[in-house]
Amino acid sequence: MLTSPRMGSPEAASAKGFGPRNPEIFFAAQKCNRRATWRMSVLSVFAAFVMGIPLTLVLTPVLYALALIGAEIYNYFSPLPPEFWQNASDLAHFGLRIADYVLNQKGTVAPEDLATGLALILLPGMVLAFLLWMGMLMMFRHGGVGGALTSLRAREPNQGDLKELQLGDVLQEMSIAAGVQTPRLMLIDSRGANAAVIGSSAADARIVLSRRLLDDLTRDQLQAVLGHLIGAMGNGDLRIAFTVTSVFETCGLLVNVINAPFTKQSRARLWRMVRYLFTPASSDQKAILACEIAESLSSSLESESDDIDSKFPSRQKGPFQKLLSILFFPLIFTNLGMELTLWMFTNILLGPCMALLWRARRYLADASSVELTRSPDSMAEALQRLSEDTNAVEGGEWASHLFLVDPKGDRSLRGSAPSPQQTELAFKAWIGTASMVPASPDGAVMAESTSAYDMPRLWAEIKATAIRAATGDPVALARMQAFANAMGGEKSFDLHALPNPADILAAQRGDMAALARIERIQHTPTRSAPRRGQSGLQMASMASFHPPLKRRVKRLQRMGAHLVTAKGYGWGMRIFMTVLWLIIGPLRAAAGVLMLLVLGLLIMLNLVFLTVWLSVIHWAFAQDWVANYNGFVSFVNSLIRAFSKR
Amino acid sequence: MEISYGMIAIIAVAVLALWFLLRTYNGLVRMRNNVRTAWSDIDVQLTRRHDLVPNLVESVKGYMTHERETLEAVTRARSEAIASGGNIVDRAGAEMALTGAVGNLFAAAERYPDLKASKSFLLLQEQITSTENRVAFARQHYNDKVRQLNTAIAEFPQNLIAGTLGFKPAEMFAAGADDRAAVGVKV
Repeated sequence: MLTSPRMGSPEAASAKGFGPRNPEIFFAAQKCNRRATWRMSVLSVFAAFVMGIPLTLVLTPVLYALALIGAEIYNYFSPLPPEFWQNASDLAHFGLRIADYVLNQKGTVAPEDLATGLALILLPGMVLAFLLWMGMLMMFRHGGVGGALTSLRAREPNQGDLKELQLGDVLQEMSIAAGVQTPRLMLIDSRGANAAVIGSSAADARIVLSRRLLDDLTRDQLQAVLGHLIGAMGNGDLRIAFTVTSVFETCGLLVNVINAPFTKQSRARLWRMVRYLFTPASSDQKAILACEIAESLSSSLESESDDIDSKFPSRQKGPFQKLLSILFFPLIFTNLGMELTLWMFTNILLGPCMALLWRARRYLADASSVELTRSPDSMAEALQRLSEDTNAVEGGEWASHLFLVDPKGDRSLRGSAPSPQQTELAFKAWIGTASMVPASPDGAVMAESTSAYDMPRLWAEIKATAIRAATGDPVALARMQAFANAMGGEKSFDLHALPNPADILAAQRGDMAALARIERIQHTPTRSAPRRGQSGLQMASMASFHPPLKRRVKRLQRMGAHLVTAKGYGWGMRIFMTVLWLIIGPLRAAAGVLMLLVLGLLIMLNLVFLTVWLSVIHWAFAQDWVANYNGFVSFVNSLIRAFSKR
Repeated sequence: MEISYGMIAIIAVAVLALWFLLRTYNGLVRMRNNVRTAWSDIDVQLTRRHDLVPNLVESVKGYMTHERETLEAVTRARSEAIASGGNIVDRAGAEMALTGAVGNLFAAAERYPDLKASKSFLLLQEQITSTENRVAFARQHYNDKVRQLNTAIAEFPQNLIAGTLGFKPAEMFAAGADDRAAVGVKV
């Protein structure tokens, strides 16, 4: 393990030409991405406002209803002054007048009255949403890091391991290059190869790296990766990430509050939050709790919009719950309207804006990394290596936006898939070597299925043989070497994602990393299986928070990287895509308009029901129930008397 | 009425001028402090290297019996680097010489398989490599900050007042334009 051929090899460093062609170019790139960040921030704030308008239309009536109920209850025990009721009545009449004017074009309303009406409808909901958001910021400000590290199962680096020691050195080097304090380093032993910087500010930031990266990347590439993370930290990405997450969490909280009368799950979530706020616990425990709550809040944005049925009263419920359902019946429309609004706007407005904002930050961090290492090639190569593997880190689903590359994996950098001719060549070569090594049992089986190219099986066999060769089987080794000769060079091995002969030899000498690389190799076409690793954030918007690796590499090329990316689509494909977009675009717009109509309808229904509800509440409180009861009893008595007389 | 408008205009111009002055001054002070911090960072790393070199010489002495000159060159370069005082240009030259000497030592070590297999040598090699990188990165950081300060002092509105406020352009560490290649660690 100590003598690694892949890490800290200075020959590789000195062989490459350092420095971009124009040293000022990464500063220009940073400036451009900073501007993009500003544009996107403004757009996000605007999107949040636009989203807030229908949301508050839904929310405000509920607030008024709650206020009325509160006032009525208070009034029951100690009567409120008549001016209050006069004002409330005036307000209601004013609202009705405005509504009449807007909906039926009846009557005349002064513009300032219209503005007041708008403010009355919009302000309470907006203020509430804003307060909730501030509460979220306060609540999760001290937390997160500890809980995040626990859920990732991160550990301290092992001081006895030279590679992990080296990593610590590289981290310090990059901090010196950036002129910032060295953040703490944590390692994850996971299948995925990825890296992230987590924390709520630069002071408590942690660099989290999967151990596998140390085997996969050279020292220069590690420098580039750490430069990206430290650059992101120095640029203030942590605070931005925190704000973005808190916005989504606030939306989740709103959904839960509105759902609380109907679903048990929401009540449980809210109860957990209240308990978190009021129970004293050690800061570590609190951090873990905060992390879990944040996760459950942002996840509630996605799952519940489809089980509307569960909110309607069903037959299994007891009489009390039935009564409750009837009592809260008008809230169902509020509920539906709200979920639809949130779902729609997070998907098509706020989510994409924030995703684009975050993408600009990723480009910015790439440029910062180039500024620190002065080596765009290292960054591009590191991205390419990371794209070749699974990137999902167990327990890191909630924070996928914080990782260096998309944990879902990104195939945009993959070289062109092997052509049919190449596949045929690989098949012929494999079967040819089977006859050369008669002792191998694989060949006989394969020879039967030559006609149908059974790709996964072929790759499984090659992999099995490679592992046998690596662990010391001379027959398997001879076969792998013959196969390599027949295939013609290592280049085709990389193309087919086959075990590399050099790795096999290295593994035989006892290089565990090489053996691990062989074991990881899978047949490319079977890789399209969906991978885990989506966060609540990523689900909440259709756009990915990570820019495609290909675009990142293209920007690195502009800064002087030499990595060649595969050619894009041909002209025919581009025209086809354009035509497809021309057809789909208007359809999507029409769907959006339809959704808006439905939303408007829901808001209307919501208003109507709430008016009825408010009147019922007011009427109910205004009645003298004792006199009514007495009257009812005397009525029944008189009935009984009348019947008994007969 | 006219007089009060004139007064307002004069006050506005004065406030603007004051604001510009304060902003420029604070910005320049911040940049100068950045340069100073970066310089002390380099100093820390250079000292670290000076402390490591004797360990290196000591640990390889036993193996590299035929490399007297190489070892002596390293020791000499180190004492020269320590002796070179405040002048940035002199100091950069002496440190470059030390980098070269250490590089030669590691190149020579390639010929001694026993040495290369020893774990303590590997650890030491990693420490020296990292220190060389740290020196290079600290230098790069310093030079970036110097470039920032010098540009700010030379640019149009600031250059009118930077001189009177006592800001002088700082000196780069080493003359080469390509920072990293010059100190490429050849261990």
